[in-house]
Amino acid sequence: MRGTLAVGLLGLACTIVPARAQAPGQVVLMAYPGIFQDNYVDTVTRPFSQASGTAVQYFPTTNSAQMLGTLRTQKGDPQVDVVIMDTTTAAAACAEGLVEPLTEAEMPVLKDVHQIARQAGGECGPGVTFDHFVMTWNTQTVQTPPTAWRDLWNPAYRGRISLSSPPDIQGLVLTAVLAHAETGDWRNVNSTFQKLREIAPLVQTFNPQPDSYTLVLNDQVGFATGWNARAQYYRDQSNGRLGVLLPAEGTGFQINTINVVKGSKNRAAAMAFVTYALSPDAQAAFTNRMFYAPTNTQARPSAEALGRTAAAPESMSKVVAIDWAEMVKLREAWNQRWRREVIAAGGR
Amino acid sequence: MRRRLPGLLLCAPAAFVLGLCFVWPMLSLFRMSFYEGEGGTLIPAWSLATFTRLAEDPFVRDVTLDSLGLAAFCATMAVLLAYPMALFLFRTTSRLRGLLAIAAVMPLLVSGTARVIGWMALLSDQGLINQLLGAFGVPTQPLINNWTGVRIGLTESVMPYAILALIAGLGRLDRRVEAAAASLGAGPLTTFWRITVPMTLPAISAAWLLAFVLGVSAFITPKLMGGGRVFTLATEIFDAAMETLDWPAAAALSVYALLLLSLIVAAHAALTRRAGA
Repeated sequence: MRGTLAVGLLGLACTIVPARAQAPGQVVLMAYPGIFQDNYVDTVTRPFSQASGTAVQYFPTTNSAQMLGTLRTQKGDPQVDVVIMDTTTAAAACAEGLVEPLTEAEMPVLKDVHQIARQAGGECGPGVTFDHFVMTWNTQTVQTPPTAWRDLWNPAYRGRISLSSPPDIQGLVLTAVLAHAETGDWRNVNSTFQKLREIAPLVQTFNPQPDSYTLVLNDQVGFATGWNARAQYYRDQSNGRLGVLLPAEGTGFQINTINVVKGSKNRAAAMAFVTYALSPDAQAAFTNRMFYAPTNTQARPSAEALGRTAAAPESMSKVVAIDWAEMVKLREAWNQRWRREVIAAGGR
Repeated sequence: MRRRLPGLLLCAPAAFVLGLCFVWPMLSLFRMSFYEGEGGTLIPAWSLATFTRLAEDPFVRDVTLDSLGLAAFCATMAVLLAYPMALFLFRTTSRLRGLLAIAAVMPLLVSGTARVIGWMALLSDQGLINQLLGAFGVPTQPLINNWTGVRIGLTESVMPYAILALIAGLGRLDRRVEAAAASLGAGPLTTFWRITVPMTLPAISAAWLLAFVLGVSAFITPKLMGGGRVFTLATEIFDAAMETLDWPAAAALSVYALLLLSLIVAAHAALTRRAGA
């Protein structure tokens, strides 16, 4: 019933299941498209297939909400075995029984997974990648390199700033990080909203299109909020035209969890794949390629790659410990305050 | 009965497709609007909690008024711009008439997203229009990431539909009446205002309604050209479904939007009937 309801709600034609029957020795992985897919296939799924003989079919899906829609529509007959999705969405999937609880007894590699990643998954699959919130800036047109979020409160930057507002997660993390810097408590946001109201008139867009990295690279804006992994990738692609900064006030993690879909027809292979994806080798390889910090404490990526993630010791101390389960409860109130107090003050 | 049977059979495939692709999903949507949601988790229930929450939220009222206002503005502008074009296409005897008609509705052949990306290139702070203005010493004008940009983009987006509706409706325009007016001494302007416009009012009305309905339900343009400053019913439904995972709210807002549009269309039909009577 819920499956048909989901179809009715979203008309998610894009959640149509992989159009083939699953064969033995095969795993269907649902995860993000684009550069995430390209690099994940190169560094994780292909080596796994070569080592185990199990084929991995990658089913790219635009975002976590669509993944949740797919899981709901397929609840009675899952066509996906493993899913990588954002922690807040995974929490809903876990609560609805769409993905399996995982235990150390059944999956010993969990013992080596970072505590933050374990908490992110709850009783279901743990975090498989850590990404963190950054400021990006155009190194060719911005004369004074920024060091902190507070640098943006500068009238000279009117129309040169892109902030992704809630419900986008970036807006939530920005609010939490600023609140933490000001009060020591990421939930204490009253004075933060006053600060955000002050910067609002300088903001060109609260919803960067097609994405914030493109706007900065094309000099449509000088500064933008973003995620480290993609920003580092675009920094390399642009030969450093895109600057990436972990601002002085700190950052917050965005965590993708990996889960075995409940009722998977290839459960054993799915468990084997998740074990491999969480292994030190796979974690290090993906970090070296895409600068997501590893969630396995035994992973040993290159020093250069590690230095460009939040896992570097000097960066780790700047990570604000956001409890995402609590954030989900605050999200709607913050969303409304952004609209009524911040965006309303940022007319253009 | 025997006569009706073939007709019913002929309707059956279309009715089946309509039932499968529209009625069933809409009923499912209606059902889901009574679910409860907590932190993105769906809880099956028969509850009015979501409707109550939305009814008490002044933001929903504001978004409704903004959506209707935006659609009314864009529909009006689209009809004003489309009318001369449609009239020309209706009257011209040029061999290129077909080609011109295709050119007028050409935007429909391009995806909505691609059109919006084109507008973004034209209207951005570093875009073509601001570069031209800059050449004349005019400071950068914020033409996108605000209501102005959405109004421009949405007007262009619904205009081809207005042209098609107007061309279809202009068939009621009897050229002999215009000729009669002219023979009685009416100038071109008088003929236009007192003969042409009144005779084409049904076409204007239908074109406006079509553009209005499309404008209310438009999603891509407000989302991509609004810079996060433009909230409409469609963007709210998207955010509830795809960002906050509040599917009951998305369903309830969808049901609300559908009812609202149905009421408006019914009111328009009643008014049109009364005007025609």
